[in-house]
Amino acid sequence: MNLTNALARLLLFPGLLFAVPAAWFFLWTERKAVAVMQQRVGPPFMQPFFDFIKLMGKTVPRRSGSAGLLMKALPLIALASSAGAVGLLPVLPASGGFAGDLILLLALLEVPSMCMIAAGFASRSIFGEIGSAREAVMSISYNVVFLLAIVSIAASQHSFRLETLAQLPSSPLRWLGVLAILVCLPAKLHLNPFSVPNAEQEIYAGPFTEYAGHELAMWDLAHGLEWVASTGLVATLLAPHVQIWWLSAGSFVAISFAVVLLLSVVATWTARLNIDSTVRFYWRCTLVFAVLATSFALLLRLRS
Amino acid sequence: MNLWKRLMCYSRRHSPWLFHMNSGSCNGCDIELIASISPRYDAEQLGVCLQGSPRHADILCISGPVTRNSVQAIQTVYGQVCEPKVVVALGSCPASTNVFIDSRTIEGPLNKHIPVDVFVPGCPPRPDAILQGVAQAADILAQRRAKKPAAQEEQA
Amino acid sequence: MNMLTMLLKSLLHRSVTVRFPARPPVSQNYRGLVLLDPALCSGCSMCAFRCTSRAITFRATKTEYKWSYDPGQCTFCGRCAERCESHALSMEQACPPVYLASGGLKCSYTMQRNPPAPKPAAVLLPAAETLGANPAAGGTQ
Repeated sequence: MNLTNALARLLLFPGLLFAVPAAWFFLWTERKAVAVMQQRVGPPFMQPFFDFIKLMGKTVPRRSGSAGLLMKALPLIALASSAGAVGLLPVLPASGGFAGDLILLLALLEVPSMCMIAAGFASRSIFGEIGSAREAVMSISYNVVFLLAIVSIAASQHSFRLETLAQLPSSPLRWLGVLAILVCLPAKLHLNPFSVPNAEQEIYAGPFTEYAGHELAMWDLAHGLEWVASTGLVATLLAPHVQIWWLSAGSFVAISFAVVLLLSVVATWTARLNIDSTVRFYWRCTLVFAVLATSFALLLRLRS
Repeated sequence: MNLWKRLMCYSRRHSPWLFHMNSGSCNGCDIELIASISPRYDAEQLGVCLQGSPRHADILCISGPVTRNSVQAIQTVYGQVCEPKVVVALGSCPASTNVFIDSRTIEGPLNKHIPVDVFVPGCPPRPDAILQGVAQAADILAQRRAKKPAAQEEQA
Repeated sequence: MNMLTMLLKSLLHRSVTVRFPARPPVSQNYRGLVLLDPALCSGCSMCAFRCTSRAITFRATKTEYKWSYDPGQCTFCGRCAERCESHALSMEQACPPVYLASGGLKCSYTMQRNPPAPKPAAVLLPAAETLGANPAAGGTQ
């Protein structure tokens, strides 16, 4: 993968130029779907864009010291890593990639959540501390299942290249892996029933209580890009393998959109669980399936 | 620059984020505010979002006659809302202390402590009246400009 | 599962939202702003006496009286209009409007007192009627 190819993927498609409007579109879709299911009207189409522009125009309080520096830097790190994660997705056929880019994708998907944890502590707010602690606990719970599922799929194919995963044959292992990822996605994207860190009105705004203005706009945009990257990962595993570029891109967007709708239905259907129930759910219920997937993958490897 | 300013005005008008604060109210106005985000009145059609933190909000909605215990809290929270900001007084309690006039524990109407821009009369005001007040506040917000950071309170 | 079927069914229904700026109609007997008809007011000041929040103030001199009303102070209880004997006060059947300046919507009326009615001339009763009443026997009640 040469430099121009990499830059095009990072900046154009599926990079920033596509991902930022897609992020706003997915954020709007989620809010609109929740509203329609609650028999309301919901926000107008350009709402996330207006929110972003308005936040850029707010003044931010001056903050001094290393905490201030961290508070300025952390949203940018989160934004950069989620944009990089979107750029890595193999949307177009034969778009190149490198061995091990799955590992890079998973690492980049982790960085926004770690930045969120650091953000709560850096803001020196008690609500931020509680929110960050909850996010940290939730992260170590769902990540076990998430990573085990993906790694087992990759190991069964003897490759950690995203392109190889995009061309997976349909097998029970693939569906098990996709199911495991879908179960972890509400926790990753802070949706009901696992919207624990940003429990509004319960701990004010959680880790982001002290953030304002353009910093908050960066956090929201990073969250939107996380949506695109996570749903894109599911779409990569599920999308059929076609050679025509626009069909491939179209099916990628369509499957991501379907995953967004599914997550919105789950978010409207359920109520927020508390942190104890969340941890118990991931460690007791879903871990079994992750172990099943890993064993299945090992068996496949041993047989091939 | 003109285009950016117009875009900013339009965005501020269409994305009013609220923070609600109760300064000793009987909760009637608070209930009507929550009713205004229910499906029948749906504040989200205006882009209104009830935020969890005063730093995230543009519009501060305050209900209740300002009790002695809440004066400090009101002033702190007002300082925490980032510029540009608008204050909406919900109900007749913050406008004039309503039935609690001359009470020993009430520190007078809200505009003794912070500048109030929009008054929504009623006891309690109907949710559609609250939406009218918020829309008016969003209009005022669109015209206001953010003050320089030197005037902004530094984070403690 | 009930919840899920309910949510999916509402995808088929229209929203129940009242679109801004339309407003749903107020109920019957809604208590909005207090309205005074100055022609009917007799100046008894019962409304100011009954007012729970001192929204209505009443100042009177021998020749005129001033009725003022501050909706910002009003709690819309309706006690004033309930007992207005001359039916001068009524409550508007609409939501009070939003205002921007403190003390907006205040209104007052200054009304002239009616001049006192002329005293009737003294009337002498005929003698037969005064003799009919016998105080010692209890008389007429």
